Amino acid sequence: MGGKVSCTLGEVKNRADLIIYWGGNPAECHPRHFTKYTLTQKGRYIPNGRKDRTMVLVDIRETPSAKAADIFLQVRPAKDFEVITVLRALIKGHAVDPELAAETGLSMEQLQDLADRMKKARFGVLFFGMGLSMTRGKHMNSAALLTLAAELNAYTKFVAMPMRGHGNVTGGDVIMRWTTGYPFGVSLSRGYPRFNPGEFSTIDLLIRGDCDAALILGADPGATMPQPAIDHLARIPTIVLDPKVTHTSRLARVHFTTAATGISAPGTVYRMDEIPLPLRPALKSPYPTDEEIVHRIYQAVAAKPPLPPAVMLSQATM
Amino acid sequence: MLRITGGKVYDPANGINGEIREICICDGRIVPEVEGGRTIDATGMVIFPGGVDVHTHVAGAALNFARAMIPEDHRRNQPFVRTQVRRGGIGGATPTTYVTGYLYAGLGYTTVNEAAVPVLSARHTHEELRDTPIVDKACCVLMANNEILLDLLEAGEKEKAQHVAAWNIWSAKAYGVKAVNPGGITAWKWGKDAKSLNDPIPGYKTITPRQIIKGLADIVDSLGLPHPLHLHCNNLGAPGNCTTTLETMKLLEGNRAHLAHLQYHAYGGDDWFTMRSEAARIAEEFNANPNLTTDAGAVLFGNTVTITADGPWQHLLYKLTGHKWGNLDVENETGCGVVPYTYKEKNLVNAVQWAVGLELLLLIKDPWRIFLTTDHPNGAAFWRYPEIIHLLMNADFRREQLKRLAPKALKRIYLPELNREYTLYEIAIITSAGPARALGLPHKGHLGVGADADVAIYNESKDIPHMFAYPRYVIKAGEVVIEEGEIRKTVEGKGILVQPSYDQKVESYIRPLFQQYYTMSFDNYPVEMERIEHPDLRPCKQPRA
Repeated sequence: MGGKVSCTLGEVKNRADLIIYWGGNPAECHPRHFTKYTLTQKGRYIPNGRKDRTMVLVDIRETPSAKAADIFLQVRPAKDFEVITVLRALIKGHAVDPELAAETGLSMEQLQDLADRMKKARFGVLFFGMGLSMTRGKHMNSAALLTLAAELNAYTKFVAMPMRGHGNVTGGDVIMRWTTGYPFGVSLSRGYPRFNPGEFSTIDLLIRGDCDAALILGADPGATMPQPAIDHLARIPTIVLDPKVTHTSRLARVHFTTAATGISAPGTVYRMDEIPLPLRPALKSPYPTDEEIVHRIYQAVAAKPPLPPAVMLSQATM
Repeated sequence: MLRITGGKVYDPANGINGEIREICICDGRIVPEVEGGRTIDATGMVIFPGGVDVHTHVAGAALNFARAMIPEDHRRNQPFVRTQVRRGGIGGATPTTYVTGYLYAGLGYTTVNEAAVPVLSARHTHEELRDTPIVDKACCVLMANNEILLDLLEAGEKEKAQHVAAWNIWSAKAYGVKAVNPGGITAWKWGKDAKSLNDPIPGYKTITPRQIIKGLADIVDSLGLPHPLHLHCNNLGAPGNCTTTLETMKLLEGNRAHLAHLQYHAYGGDDWFTMRSEAARIAEEFNANPNLTTDAGAVLFGNTVTITADGPWQHLLYKLTGHKWGNLDVENETGCGVVPYTYKEKNLVNAVQWAVGLELLLLIKDPWRIFLTTDHPNGAAFWRYPEIIHLLMNADFRREQLKRLAPKALKRIYLPELNREYTLYEIAIITSAGPARALGLPHKGHLGVGADADVAIYNESKDIPHMFAYPRYVIKAGEVVIEEGEIRKTVEGKGILVQPSYDQKVESYIRPLFQQYYTMSFDNYPVEMERIEHPDLRPCKQPRA
């Protein structure tokens, strides 16, 4: 297992005749996804738009996205991995124990029907959300789904894509990769990048109390992280850069109001398929941009003499 | 101002073969004479023009995808600790951008050509190239599977196709045109491939890979681009693919072209069990076609990751190895595939691949037409070039290495019979002077007056791999960046690009098609000129009538 078989969103628009959303609620979380990329658009090889496409929604509850779907499959909570495993077996023509399949909350007919549709599709796509990647099984669920998509390529064309959100999270991931080699969970404390999710990822660092200062950019951990992590943010000097006052700002020592990127500051944003889009500001802001503030902090830090132990450490490792 | 004295100069473009000469540098260029300034005593050293890599993958969406896929490789490989002059990062098969600059400079290379850029994500590529220090950077835009262009070629509208191609080059802020598996990636969008030059591409009525190759080669020549069509032939990596390659060479008669990583296109046999080297046949045909240049795409044993726009080939490699597989199809333009890979001595196929790369370098007579590459990171990482130089310069060492191969492999290759040894002069050609000429960069790859002051100075030594892996000095645009094997300064490189001429009205043709097929707004598509750091806009030749 490993890797990712994917495409840009235009490929979905032009070719996909089977669209499966898994553990996500695009109608509410990505409201333009259906109309801009996946369902209603006419594509180069999808002349009739919605009529030429079949949409399947797999989730544990009937969300507003179910209204848009041709087929809604309600999985029993925490049984996604099992459903995917059954599908992988059915696609290869292996026998599946109906009793085990029954535990997933889906009938054998439903599972077989989905497997058949996947194999018969001309171009199939699996979009998966946090309902899959952040529930029981976590990354193993994502890995299983990505493997399912990869294996389907022995029969037809199939791709998978995570439904990423939160502004420019993909851009952060892309730039971390070209500067450090890793997408997230990177420690630079030894002077070179080390990667260990669970050890160096933000929540873990905060809960263990390993860090003694925090700079928060384009996020509001005070509203989303577990309480022990928030408690530590309140204990240490926390600096927030944000166009508006957030929950995190309220517990921070310093809050900088910045120009809103895309509205009054230029930049680049990476779409969920890693396509970079330029941002052109429509308005002027009295506030400085994030970049300007970080640059000025950097200059101020660089002007300070280094601490003696740091000098010795850097010489020792050179 | 800088003066280098006492060194043996190897400057093939000016016919200087190991003579002791003085090199003077002022304002980033080679000059006849300088007054004052620093003097480097290069006695006992050899002086090369800075290296030029004609085909490498160092930046962009595909490589960055690969970086995410191989954390285990990053952990195994050399970490770069941050110092006063350099940033931290990771070496290995897919070095981080800053480290890429340090590692290339650390080999004496000062110019690189990123060989595969889709227009759609060119902005990303340029962001990474901007973060790649020291070296000058050019890039080639992918075009042989661009559906708007394919439609025009199918309809026989060559002139309009030329305007669209030129518009694409300028939109991507690219330097050349790359064709990868012409038609094959478009076919891959339906899970198929284009294996034969003469069959219509799946999904199209009449157009064949042959027409795409010919069409694009004509377009590149008519536009007068400094670098010819950069072609990754159909049928890469497959046993028996030499017939496709030979056919492609014939097809290109009358055009200029650069055949990328020829090693992957020179196999005989019918399947993986009977695969053999056809380097002799390929080299013979290649020797007879002076319109072509190529690069080796040599393979070295060990771990690496394969990255190519050739999606169908990567799917096959995934099925063969059961390894991780990454795939990213780019709407209407191209695709990419990533599979980590280990080349093993005892594997018959890998042994043949290893031999073919070296055989081509030894059998192609004119060093001005074949250049040293590993198709980084596909055959091996670029920082392993000194190992290949060693194999080329020492026939005894080569024979020694043959013993490591599976005995069965020896009957499938020509290498045991080859006694040619490269001279330092020839190494300077295949690593610098030749690729600079093929790229159409008259100010690179030589040390004549007026050239960019990109210079690599090596200790003259019998220990070839050590000599080339650790240059004493590397000078980039007149600045000493490497001294005594250490980075002393990290200068910023230039972005090399061309602006071919096209009819401005072509935009009104592309715009409606674009809005129909793409998911990005048309005005966001072209990369803005401000995003290119230190742009070096090269002229096109007078367009052919």
